[in-house]
Amino acid sequence: MKNRLKVLRAERDWSQADLAERLEVSRQTINALETGKYDPSLPLAFRIARLFGLPIETIFQDEA
Amino acid sequence: MGSPKSPAGRRYMARMMPAMLLYVAVLFGSIYILRHLEPGGLLIWIVAVAPAVPIIGAIVAMGLYMAEETDEFLRATMAQSMLWGIGVTITLCTIWGFLENADLLPHPPLYLIFPLFCASFGLAQPFVSRRYR
Repeated sequence: MKNRLKVLRAERDWSQADLAERLEVSRQTINALETGKYDPSLPLAFRIARLFGLPIETIFQDEA
Repeated sequence: MGSPKSPAGRRYMARMMPAMLLYVAVLFGSIYILRHLEPGGLLIWIVAVAPAVPIIGAIVAMGLYMAEETDEFLRATMAQSMLWGIGVTITLCTIWGFLENADLLPHPPLYLIFPLFCASFGLAQPFVSRRYR
């Protein structure tokens, strides 16, 4: 699934480690999310949306 | 499991290391007692099975890691690596069993299955992680 995590992170000038710390996950997890190779669970997706103050569907795009 | 990247990973290492050290100590102690002191009755059973206790501890440490890991991605990659480990272990044991059945291979000690699982589980980890890079 595609997502705008990398862009949103860059806009805030956060490193992957910064974002990892704010979401309380590992840096590998951020990397796997940003490459679109790992889709987060709904709870983690909501945490990400809350952190950026955006609706989930503006961060994650269903390719179907 | 490679370098721990989470609090649960650090706790896993803190449980696994003493379990492995204890295993080496108990294993040598058990072998020594069985060979030189020749215990009888119930004692021989206890001394003989003793090395399995720290191994069970190691298995429990793996289970606790899966239960305690709060990072869902790390948990998912660990679960996939464990499934690879289980698959490889069952495959090799099945092949060996049929070859043994035809008297082509000797009967291996069953306690080697755990190190076989650990080796295949460990080898699978970098390959599973690489899929998400």
